[in-house]
Amino acid sequence: MLLVDILHCEDAVKSLTVNNHTFPVLRLLSDGDFHSGQTLGEQLGISRAAVWNAIKEAQELGVEIHSVHGKGYRLSSAIDFLDADRINHALNSTARNFTLELLETTTSTNSDLMKRAAADAPQGTCIAAELQQAGRGRRGRAWVSSLGSGLTFSLLWRFSQGAVALGGLSLAVGVALVRALSEVGITQLALKWPNDVLHADKKLAGTLIELQGEMLGPTAAVIGIGLNIKLPDEVKTGIDQPVADLTEAGNLQAPPRNELLAVLLRHLYDVLSEFEQQGFTALRDEWQQHHAHHGKLAQLTLPNGLLKTGIVNGIDADGALLVNVGGQVQRFSTAEISLRSPA
Amino acid sequence: MDLRKLKKLIDLVEESGISELELTEGEEKVRISRQMQGQMMQYAPSYIQAQAPQVAAPAEAEVAAVDGHVMKSPMVGTFYRSPSPEAKAFVEIGASVSVGDTLCIIEAMKLLNTIEADHSGVIKAILVENGHPVEYGEPLFIIG
Repeated sequence: MLLVDILHCEDAVKSLTVNNHTFPVLRLLSDGDFHSGQTLGEQLGISRAAVWNAIKEAQELGVEIHSVHGKGYRLSSAIDFLDADRINHALNSTARNFTLELLETTTSTNSDLMKRAAADAPQGTCIAAELQQAGRGRRGRAWVSSLGSGLTFSLLWRFSQGAVALGGLSLAVGVALVRALSEVGITQLALKWPNDVLHADKKLAGTLIELQGEMLGPTAAVIGIGLNIKLPDEVKTGIDQPVADLTEAGNLQAPPRNELLAVLLRHLYDVLSEFEQQGFTALRDEWQQHHAHHGKLAQLTLPNGLLKTGIVNGIDADGALLVNVGGQVQRFSTAEISLRSPA
Repeated sequence: MDLRKLKKLIDLVEESGISELELTEGEEKVRISRQMQGQMMQYAPSYIQAQAPQVAAPAEAEVAAVDGHVMKSPMVGTFYRSPSPEAKAFVEIGASVSVGDTLCIIEAMKLLNTIEADHSGVIKAILVENGHPVEYGEPLFIIG
């Protein structure tokens, strides 16, 4: 799903066809050791030229590969590829709640899962991709993930309710992310309305949810999540907002992606079950405890461009943002929020 | 009848305080009827009533073409005509749609709601501009 909010959309939506040999070559290189072109070719039954082409393409996809004469190719850092066995093992007895589908590359895990949802995929279907090339953020912002730099996945949940009753869903998902990240030892977490997860005031994870169904229910919710694990510096600086990744957020090394995905799925399952039965009300206090902007002076940009400035006054029972504008508390369900330093 | 004209008519009805206006122009016939706030709220689920006290529903004008079906917004949010700013709109005026076709997206709190046609026919009017906020029950499309 969404990983990095970038300004240059056209770069993100580049070529979608990936050479057949690129991922097999990368899997052999994933240990971070040197492999000669000849050995790689022999292992895959392809020519050295084909190996070279695959390496070149991987580099174009943002993978940093060192090439040393006489030694061969080596990744600048090992890639922890997604592995269904490891994820299921980490999920343990909760594995039965999920149907995992792992992709090497896709345009958007949300779009893929929306199609699967329409074709009756079961609740708990999760599509995760190593590389997402045209992820969608809100308002069509492009999101890119470079290989191994993050975790991007979408989870399907089927609600008996209609869309209107699901108002607080994206905030509920934020609560699940905070619970999961706390469990793996990440501190200084906060939630930016409606559901960005911040670490030390910088964006660490984002969510985009797409709903399909009858207005009175049932509704299929495709919950797309992007979490930054280890962003290359050039990606960090190319983004229009401050971003954090788990590698800097964790005191130790970032948890392996497979195990991390299992922790996230477990907490999502618990929170979504709670939300389904009791609505957002049950999760509201927990959300507010993590609210990054509570009591602060903020500027809201409304979808039609209007600006409102006021003191953030918490969130309503359905997740709408409450802001005290000139002595009167107003509700907002769509707005971009940014902090204003007091004049 | 074009959108601007329709909007003017709606404003006229709202300002004048009359409850219904019917207009025939060639083969097209438009009836605009105004419902009072109290009546409007009956349609809103109790959820909306309880949680949205300050959204004083304006005396909403209901647009109804005789041979057209009015698709209303099922929720409060932002109206988007295409999946992304660069992408083509889901539908344009004159497009034929079937039940279940995606007409627009309404976004609220990072929930993107795909709004599907609940009626088959031809899109006669698109009543909201891309990126603008919509209220519960606000007319979005007229499908003839």
